Amino acid sequence: MSGNRFGRMLAVTAAGTALALGLAACGGGSDDSASDSGAADETTAEETVAEEASASECESNTIAVITVDPANPYWKAEVDTAVAEAEALGYQTTVNAHGNDPDQQNQFIDAAISSGACAIILDPAGADESVGAVQKATDAGIPVFQVNAEIAEQGIAKAQIVSNNAQGAALGAEAWVECMGDNRDYVELFGNPTDNNAGIRSTSYHEVIDPLGFNMLQQEVANWDRQEGKQKMELMIQSQPDLQGVIAGNDEMALGAIEALRDAGKLEGTCVLGFDGNDDARDAVLAGEMVATVLQPIVNGTKLAVEQMHTYLTTGEAPAEEKQSIDCILITPENAGNLEGFTLS
Amino acid sequence: MSATTPVEKKSRRIDWGQLAVEGRALIALLLIVVIFSALSSNFLTPDNLIIMTRHVAMNAILAIGMLLVVLNGGIDLSVGSVVGLSGVIAGWLLEGWRIPFTDSVAYPPVWAVIIISLMVGAFFGWINGFVVTRWRVAPFVATLGMLFVARGFALLITDGQTFVNLRGEPELGNEGFLDIVFAAPLGIPMAVWMMVLVAVLASILLNRRPFGRWLYASGGNPQAAKLSGVPMKKVGTRIYLLSGLCAGLVGILLVADLKAATPRGGELYELNAIAAVVIGGASLAGGRGTVRGTIIGAFVIGFLVDGLILVGVSFFWQQVIKGAVIVLAVALDQWQQRLKESREAKQTQTQMLQSRQQTAHAVSEGRSTS
Repeated sequence: MSGNRFGRMLAVTAAGTALALGLAACGGGSDDSASDSGAADETTAEETVAEEASASECESNTIAVITVDPANPYWKAEVDTAVAEAEALGYQTTVNAHGNDPDQQNQFIDAAISSGACAIILDPAGADESVGAVQKATDAGIPVFQVNAEIAEQGIAKAQIVSNNAQGAALGAEAWVECMGDNRDYVELFGNPTDNNAGIRSTSYHEVIDPLGFNMLQQEVANWDRQEGKQKMELMIQSQPDLQGVIAGNDEMALGAIEALRDAGKLEGTCVLGFDGNDDARDAVLAGEMVATVLQPIVNGTKLAVEQMHTYLTTGEAPAEEKQSIDCILITPENAGNLEGFTLS
Repeated sequence: MSATTPVEKKSRRIDWGQLAVEGRALIALLLIVVIFSALSSNFLTPDNLIIMTRHVAMNAILAIGMLLVVLNGGIDLSVGSVVGLSGVIAGWLLEGWRIPFTDSVAYPPVWAVIIISLMVGAFFGWINGFVVTRWRVAPFVATLGMLFVARGFALLITDGQTFVNLRGEPELGNEGFLDIVFAAPLGIPMAVWMMVLVAVLASILLNRRPFGRWLYASGGNPQAAKLSGVPMKKVGTRIYLLSGLCAGLVGILLVADLKAATPRGGELYELNAIAAVVIGGASLAGGRGTVRGTIIGAFVIGFLVDGLILVGVSFFWQQVIKGAVIVLAVALDQWQQRLKESREAKQTQTQMLQSRQQTAHAVSEGRSTS
């Protein structure tokens, strides 16, 4: 018996070691090639400085698109737009998703460097955490164009195109306040606490709401997720039976809250606010279940990023302003009918 | 005869203490109920109990599947992803399956949707079992791989989208999915009924069928089990299949609960299921664990998490407390095991001593009589 246990343990350890060795080998491999191609790219970068027009002659003709989570309709739209636009301009694309994990992001940046990508379209994983990764790619001569979120430092990426979350949240909060009327009691569903946007949106909501004497009964983290939003909402309906409104950091959590309210028979008369402007939220707004959502012009922002990237690769001209903020649009029953796939026609 | 009586007496005397230790999960559950009902007047309301039990039910069903695997000394990390995948399959079929290379769309009836989704769960579970038993890949590794594969398929099928048109249409003959799966016969949600059903079936399987004895034997002492003719590969494959089937069931329940099928469904559920199993007193080394304990474990985790939300404890503390409770529960379990082992050792010692004395006595008596 003990022999067999030992054998099993040995097998597990061996498997683990083999895996670790394999990974180490992989890591070593990509590191080597990374530094190789890094050196190669540096020379092209120098040449670029020498004669700007030749910048377009990038051998791989590949654009690396690095996004957050394609299972979320919002980032899905971002990826689809980036790929479609880049391919329309004649580039090939690779797509990866880091799931807001800076470490994974780092690996994808390494991969992009070692495969000699022409440019990187990046939705960064965290403002502070991503500075190093963007710097590494830039040092290797690969221009980085950021969409959706910013990094803590300027002067590294060629462009940082972000939607103005603070402005958008204020718009949404105003519409929600109007719906609330004389009601004052509400709860909040907060996004992933390690994501900057969760804090920015919440702060902007409260900047509008708090001075008006509203009373937040409870705040729960639901990690941008519909299922978690529903479960937390079900419990808050129990613990705070008087709630009359819900502000959610994104549409998915708001949609979960709507399901919970519907099951409890409390959807009527409760004001729910979302953010992002995805198609499910649009339908909820049209059905009168959600007060409003805020459209992040992610499709337009991504298009802009790809255009600026193309200009840079062909003419060597970087955008005049690195930080570009695009205003969000309030989606109410009036304009919701024109919303499709994060684009308002 | 006379040698066994004092031991029996002794074991009856310590029964209470042992019961307290063995029932520690139940005691923990009672503590949670008492503490939270003191802190929140809403905790013990019927509405809230039903909601919390519904939350518990999904984890409990997964945990029972996980228990079968753990009894064998394995682990199934893929259940969360399989939940997501089978849910997505259900949503996909309800929205209509575009048959490749043709323009036609198939709308399977609701019963077929449910069965196909369950079968998908069972199939992915079976692959786990096959890889573990035939290819001899460590369960941790095989199911870790499946965790990614199943999630990947869920994403491929949905293309990252969420299916929301689950109501079906009368003319297509596929309506009523939500009415069936989200129904609440006698005021009790379907998920809770399913938990009861799965628990009863698993208890019968473990306690009344040869399969159960094989399973406990194969996990407790694989060498001996193999030598005594337990069909190890059959047992090893079937438990993963059953775990996958449980995950498929939870996938359907999850879709009905959310009224949407999202490829992210069930993320990290495997960890809660493992927590329920170990809190319920199962040993990850295999051979030890019960359905009853696992259900109680699921209630401990579920009521704790929901109670913390009801009381309004900050999210960060919720995580800390949940983690601490898991570790404490298992630490207690280890302590109990050591206690039991030393007690058993002592018992056998006294037993041996007594029987030796008795033989000596009998021998001397025999001598004297003869």
